[in-house]
Amino acid sequence: MTENGRFGKVFWAALSRYTVMYLLLGVLCLLFLAPFAWMLSVSGHDLAGVFAEPYRWIPDRYRWENFGLVTSLLPFWRYAANTLFITVLVLIGTLLSCSLVAYGFSRIQFRGRDTLFALCLSTMMLPGQVTMIPLYMLFVSLGWIDTYLPLIVPAFFGSPFYIFLLRQFFMTIPREYDEAAVLDGAGRLRIYWSIILPLARPALAVVALFTFVGTWNDFFGPLIYLNSPETATLTLGLSMLKSQVVGTGATQWHLLMAGAVLIMLPNVVIFFLAQKHFVKGIAVGGLRG
Amino acid sequence: MKPHLLLTGTLIAASCLPGCGRQDVGGNAEVVYNCPANAADIDALKNEIPAFTAESHVNIKLNPFTGQDKLYAMMAAGQAPDIFYTNTTMRDRLAAEGRLLDLRTVSKGDPFVERLWPAVITNGTSPDSGWYSLGNWSFTLGVYYNRDLFDAAGLPYPDTAWTWETMRRLARRLTLDADGDGTPERFGIFIGSHFVEAIEQMNGAGIRPNTLLASLPDASAEAFEKYLSLMEEQLMPDIRRVQAMGMQPVQLLQSGRVAMLVEAVPHQMLIETLAIRWGVAPLPRFAGKPPKYFRTSSGGLSISSSTRFPEAAWQSVKWIVGKASIYQPNPVLRDLDFVGGWERRYPRLPGSGFREVWTLSLLHDGGDPRFFVRFSSWTSASILERLQPYLDRLWAREIGVNDVRTALPEINAHAARDLQDLLQREGIKPAFRRVIERELRSLERGAEQ
Repeated sequence: MTENGRFGKVFWAALSRYTVMYLLLGVLCLLFLAPFAWMLSVSGHDLAGVFAEPYRWIPDRYRWENFGLVTSLLPFWRYAANTLFITVLVLIGTLLSCSLVAYGFSRIQFRGRDTLFALCLSTMMLPGQVTMIPLYMLFVSLGWIDTYLPLIVPAFFGSPFYIFLLRQFFMTIPREYDEAAVLDGAGRLRIYWSIILPLARPALAVVALFTFVGTWNDFFGPLIYLNSPETATLTLGLSMLKSQVVGTGATQWHLLMAGAVLIMLPNVVIFFLAQKHFVKGIAVGGLRG
Repeated sequence: MKPHLLLTGTLIAASCLPGCGRQDVGGNAEVVYNCPANAADIDALKNEIPAFTAESHVNIKLNPFTGQDKLYAMMAAGQAPDIFYTNTTMRDRLAAEGRLLDLRTVSKGDPFVERLWPAVITNGTSPDSGWYSLGNWSFTLGVYYNRDLFDAAGLPYPDTAWTWETMRRLARRLTLDADGDGTPERFGIFIGSHFVEAIEQMNGAGIRPNTLLASLPDASAEAFEKYLSLMEEQLMPDIRRVQAMGMQPVQLLQSGRVAMLVEAVPHQMLIETLAIRWGVAPLPRFAGKPPKYFRTSSGGLSISSSTRFPEAAWQSVKWIVGKASIYQPNPVLRDLDFVGGWERRYPRLPGSGFREVWTLSLLHDGGDPRFFVRFSSWTSASILERLQPYLDRLWAREIGVNDVRTALPEINAHAARDLQDLLQREGIKPAFRRVIERELRSLERGAEQ
């Protein structure tokens, strides 16, 4: 076979392989994007348009006013401020506590460390339904119901998954850095704060992103622990858009979806801002550990 | 920033967050109402509560974030809200566990009770004869129809005395297979499978109220056959296809894919979204059978047995149902002009048949959800778990109605295990324990026969 012929064969083989791969990826992408596209489409309809047959994916006129209507039907900005407040504190708590615990598990030798780590990981096996009522009773006895404390304080006591993720990442950081810092007179907290944390930015970005998305979108926690409308978060507020009083009440799907789009926006923005760190953190934390 | 300073500062900030709990306000009794409402309704309620408090010295604290998980967590922690919504499937179970207040204890001699339609009390009554929920809404069933399609076919609109056979005949005339491919583009009617029990009732099925086990008497089987024949004749779209596509029945009517549709009356979403010329007729009667029009109070408001203020909670429930504007005019009250109120709210309603359908439901008691063991009893979950696969095969015409009847002992045995588990629990009230034991004995007798 000539050089040209071999090149052509390799070229076509690669082309067909990539074509199939990208086609598959494209189909998967469409599959994942379809609900998102539907949400965007519905948010621009009126209620009759949502139930029109056949459904029109692109409305005759995109009803931007739905977004304004959502913010006027609910104390939207109040709820957004509540959500942001909770999210920021949870973020701080999670990053501080998880990184500190992970630092201990990855850097400090002590008796029973591995057992403790296994115990910590085993708490991941407990489904939320099992701990829901005992936790609720605990928070009742502390007088924390209808406050933000049950939503925020647990974040300061670590989360096993993030501890695991960070520990794996910390273990990839050479110990020589610690030794050099010790020679310079740094204590453990100083090493943690000034050496480990700056080097672990990608992993911290992953934890921060997951925490942000999880807390921002959390519905169940606020539903269980909050009672007063003034303390509500965005997800709770959104649930109030569903009319449930009258047995056959109409759910305002177009407004619900407009609200969902608004709530989702910070997630999208943060994901794109942190995308580089996110991918790197996942790859390093997940594969090298 | 120093790490310990950041950590300490954040913890201090978190501990200073606003805290609130149940407090009595200015000497008024305060009751917590888990109110499943939207934001606008919550605002309306909040605006009206001060006037109620001034009059009654009862303050209602609204908790708009509701859900069964939350309710159960609150109950387990001894923090049950004073008032909350219960549907028929959860109410009896909670009542059996002693978690609900029997409303008879607080309503004795109260003239408010006289204002309620008797069916509202019956609907809220559990097998131990206790009254555990006050229905806060009510609906009947009707056949919504597309007037343009009737006019185009030169057919008269359904009247209040029409029969099942008339409905079939009209459905046949309205079914359209323009391209002749054997699959109609337009079907005459659509009836959701969850409404079959209403058809059974109309056909005279004598199902004992508050039974906990499934049965399929002859009249029920006959109603099933009639329902199935609509699909077999292609007068109705295949129910599995409609379910699989997740279609809202209202879409079928709006799009002209069906000419008639059985749905709840009133149906707010339908009234607000249908853009066609429509009318509504009562469910068709069965020839030779007395008219029966199903009407339900669709769950209701219950009071926790652990409330500190039973009288205040009862006063609040009465106010919510009878005065709060979001429920008015409320169809559960006899002395309010419900139809007139809705006709004023929705100008499409006068002349639509809405008034006639509602009036018929008041004149002829067509049973209530307590008859609907398959969908509305405390055993409906375990019954449906085993029954649904048979129903799916029935809709697919893989089996017949008699096969479903043959499977009933197996289905009921499954439900009986659920009941036996309940009997093992210590907190079950004696009256409910007796009901469960009665049901289990009847099952044993059936098995022996």
